[in-house]
Amino acid sequence: MASPDRAHGRRFYPLMVAACVPVLAFLVLPTLVIVPMALTAGDLIVFPPQGISGHAFADYLGDQQWMQSTKLSFEVAVLAVAIAALAGTSAAVALHGKRFPGRGAVTGLILAPIVVPLVVLGLGDYLLFAALGVLGGWAGIGVAHGVLVTPYVYISVATSLAAGLNPALVRSARSLGARPTSVFRHVYWPALRPGLCAGAVLAFAVSFDEVVLAWFLQGPQSTTLPVRMFTAVQFELTPKIMASASLFIGLATLTLLAQALIARPRRDLV
Amino acid sequence: MAPPAMSRWWLLAPVLLLYGALALLPVAVIVHFSLAGGGNYRAVLGSPLLARAITNTLVISLYATVITLALGFLLAATLWRSGPGMRRVLLAFILLPFWTAVLIKNFAWAALLQDNGAINAMLQGLGLTGGPVTLLHNRLAVVIGMVHYTLPYAVFPIYTALQAIDPRLEQAARSLGAGALPVLRHVVLPLSLPGVYSAALLVFIVAAGFFITPIILGGPSDMMIANLVDYYLHEMADFGRASALAVLILAVTAVLVTVQQALPREGQHGVA
Amino acid sequence: MTVAAQQPAPVTTPNAGGGRRVVVHDVWKSYTPGTYAVRNVGFALEPGEFLTLLGPSGSGKTTTLMMIAGFETPSRGEIRVNGIDVAGLPPELRNFGIVFQGYALFPHKSVLHNVEFALLMRGVARRERRRRALDMLDKVGLAGLAARRPRELSGGQQQRVALARALVFEPDALLLDEPLGALDRKLRETLQAEIKEIQRRVGISILYVTHDQDEAMTMSDRIAVMNDGRIVQIGTPAELYLHPATPFVADFLGETNLLTATCLGTDGGHVRLRFADGAIGWAAAARDGVARRIGDSVTVAIRPERIRVLRRTDSTETMIDGTVGGGTFLGRHARYVVAALGGRLVVSVGGGDPDSALDAGTIVRLGWSRDDAQILGEPEAPPEPDQRR
Repeated sequence: MASPDRAHGRRFYPLMVAACVPVLAFLVLPTLVIVPMALTAGDLIVFPPQGISGHAFADYLGDQQWMQSTKLSFEVAVLAVAIAALAGTSAAVALHGKRFPGRGAVTGLILAPIVVPLVVLGLGDYLLFAALGVLGGWAGIGVAHGVLVTPYVYISVATSLAAGLNPALVRSARSLGARPTSVFRHVYWPALRPGLCAGAVLAFAVSFDEVVLAWFLQGPQSTTLPVRMFTAVQFELTPKIMASASLFIGLATLTLLAQALIARPRRDLV
Repeated sequence: MAPPAMSRWWLLAPVLLLYGALALLPVAVIVHFSLAGGGNYRAVLGSPLLARAITNTLVISLYATVITLALGFLLAATLWRSGPGMRRVLLAFILLPFWTAVLIKNFAWAALLQDNGAINAMLQGLGLTGGPVTLLHNRLAVVIGMVHYTLPYAVFPIYTALQAIDPRLEQAARSLGAGALPVLRHVVLPLSLPGVYSAALLVFIVAAGFFITPIILGGPSDMMIANLVDYYLHEMADFGRASALAVLILAVTAVLVTVQQALPREGQHGVA
Repeated sequence: MTVAAQQPAPVTTPNAGGGRRVVVHDVWKSYTPGTYAVRNVGFALEPGEFLTLLGPSGSGKTTTLMMIAGFETPSRGEIRVNGIDVAGLPPELRNFGIVFQGYALFPHKSVLHNVEFALLMRGVARRERRRRALDMLDKVGLAGLAARRPRELSGGQQQRVALARALVFEPDALLLDEPLGALDRKLRETLQAEIKEIQRRVGISILYVTHDQDEAMTMSDRIAVMNDGRIVQIGTPAELYLHPATPFVADFLGETNLLTATCLGTDGGHVRLRFADGAIGWAAAARDGVARRIGDSVTVAIRPERIRVLRRTDSTETMIDGTVGGGTFLGRHARYVVAALGGRLVVSVGGGDPDSALDAGTIVRLGWSRDDAQILGEPEAPPEPDQRR
């Protein structure tokens, strides 16, 4: 079997790579400058920073309102993940291995929150919660985020099930007399666990980062960290904002690592 | 004797309940408010604010889409021609922005584009300008932020379409006398077009829905359609108009997404 | 020592038919150090000739074609077209027409634009391009289909477009890489005939790659049998069939009987042999030029249809006795397995008349003439790469 001759266009390939370099730098550099800017000794946000100091982080950690927002963001994210884990996992298990005419449409609907414009969802949730009298509570934000991140859990679990679980296993387990709970525990759970963990980490990150819904649904006691940063930046760019932004980057790095570690294919599954 | 089929359909209940309560119901509420009192749609559609917001949205999104497509094609083509090692490196760079929140990306750009920011420092250092150039709080900054956010979205549909091109078509073209540029023109570009269209529409949909970026990177005159909803709600406390506008946005998005999903993903293979 | 391949003749040979003389000389291809996909391959494609590279998957036949086309570079060796070395030329500068498996027609272009493509690349003016392309389509019998898209055509029509596209610019030769591989038998036979017909009409040299020995036997002027990267034997279909050089060739082309025997003596081009059960017979000498000494053990190949079932009054030079083990009536012929010479012989008897069938247990006398049995050369050890450079 002959492999295609890669010498063709070999003159052009180095040119292509060279042309990509500025584009890749464009993509990556902004993220990389955040942490150095947060470590500035001065009061201005500049790159390169004016000296190195941890005072911005100290400002951030010492600001009671900002820490309260940080705590709130965590709570909201945990609630969102719990809801999404339940909804996304059950949906993935329900649809696993099943073929039927409308399957594409049903999957599309489950994934819809990713495509719906956030302002529409934000406004709708706002009006609904206002009508119900629950506007401004942190739980409302958590629940709204739950809808938003369910697709991520669904995809992650569905993929993990598809890769690791042979529908024939379910049939053979049942033919051996296993009851539904046992089937779930011994057949489904091992297969979906990696997907659930990876999906949960991703869902957490998405909820924690989210601005638009949190903005619409905010209350005096319910300002998430991103919303606080968003408001602050419209007035003034301070190092404190960059310090809290570094937290997000740390979270993103953890998410990446978790995805790489958890979602590795396991050989002990059929 | 076969055991009764274990029905898993009831497992769809949680997701259906959740979506029903927090996706469908809010939309229903919006529709309700939009129709209340009558005249909301007319008011919104006739408003010069809307005309302004739509113009901004279209112009900015189109600029961003064109630039993103060009850069996206370059990245996708390089990915396509690369060996496994280089491909992994490229993918790492392309996917990295995916993992950072849009807020963070906008902050970084705000810091870099400000008058005393790194970009201006570089421009002045290279002698390209005398004094600081206004790069922030204007349309340019919004476009930059948009391109930065949507570029990863554009790469993958184009890459998929390129991968789907039968390598024998390129070999056939070469055997008939085509050098690298004619191959690009007669084989690669035409057969990757479906991927390009798909990417273009996707980028446009994402860009047009932007809320955060115009506020952080744009100026007062760069208000986009999503910001207008916020304006009606928070500045004018006009639930009716905000809702009417939201319904219109939802309708247009639904149409665009349907078209985008219905588009073919790749050119025909031409295998007998 | 390799079996006789045609030695390249001097360049002064005039071009007889359409096309140039393509000479492949001592070509090797290695992808990883130490292993070779193609070794020591050499042959000449004469103008107007239909030459097939025949062999199983992995035998190196497609790699060889790709090197001629320019998509792969030989690790060693030369490829010359009419005496000119094409080593440095990329495929777009070599003047070969290629038909790929699956045809690789441009799906987004019309049939006419597909055929015009090579002319477009060569800078031919629009009107002239169109004229020549339509002319070519006419020659392949697709006159009215110029405006169609490839996906609207049948498999046979697509092949004709592929041929037209590859021939319109009058290439030095046509290279076909298993174009009929994925098709069913009926369609394949029809398309084989079409390819031959078009070759006859246009007069071009063709290098054809396939693993299907029926296809090779039907279409080729000469066949080069390849195995494990090297050419085992080149010759006309008849030569290869009746006088295979090695057990591989004998076994690859049709069914054959392989027998072991001891050399008793020679007479011109034939050898007297003693078989396993003591029977004496004659066979043609091996084609590898190696002399066999008295007492040497050899392998003999005899085709089932060359063994005659003798009636009482018949006599042939070599006669042996055997017992019929079983038989199958296959319509055109009957196939018998006969215990003889200490082993089994497969015998094919034509004119299938069920009434004259031989029952199991029947004692029969079999015979063949000395040219119907062929002593085979040994499959040789791989030669070391030429150290002199």
